[in-house]
Amino acid sequence: MLVRDALRRSGVGIPAGSSIFDAAAVMEASGVGALVVFDGSHLAGVVTDRDLVRRALARRLAGDARVDSVMTAPVATIEGSADLDDAYVAFRATGVRRLAVLDDAGRFSGMLSLDDLLLHLSSHLRDVTRPVAAEVRAPHHDSLLPVPG
Amino acid sequence: MQAKVGDRIVIKGHRVGEADRDCLVLEVHGPDGGPPFVVRWGDSGHESLFFPGPDCSVVAYDHVLPV
Repeated sequence: MLVRDALRRSGVGIPAGSSIFDAAAVMEASGVGALVVFDGSHLAGVVTDRDLVRRALARRLAGDARVDSVMTAPVATIEGSADLDDAYVAFRATGVRRLAVLDDAGRFSGMLSLDDLLLHLSSHLRDVTRPVAAEVRAPHHDSLLPVPG
Repeated sequence: MQAKVGDRIVIKGHRVGEADRDCLVLEVHGPDGGPPFVVRWGDSGHESLFFPGPDCSVVAYDHVLPV
């Protein structure tokens, strides 16, 4: 499975000069907890709802403070054409909870979260537990087989 | 995904009971009508860049015009 096939949500971005108030409002309206921040066409950083709490609210920043003052940079990225196994390695290496996914031209195309990987894992777990669960519910004991001869 | 200025993008709720969200396409920045799109969010009127994923669909402007 490729990284781009594991994306489940749309990505949302804002300009670096936006206010933290605007960032919070866009998060609320779009339903996402992390926004990519663009400086022109350059992927400048990522700001999360947690960043707004820890780096803005907790420090009593004004609502018109620029979002690039609280964002995380540089951005941890992964190519959409990479195998999903590479994403596990990238999450482990970077310690972040979201990776920006880039298309073949190096442009941002979406955000891969740890939740996406958990869902991927859980679907595989369901596949392997199904035959086990079936055996528990309706055991096929050898004693039930007809005796030959 | 392709869209035109004036189209509406609907994002399905991700959890049971979560309402769908929608936004209006104001600008199309990708080639051939592709993303990213500059959108205005229905709830707040705030604008952002939007990179569509598998959770959304485009409602063409033509389709919402009164007959």
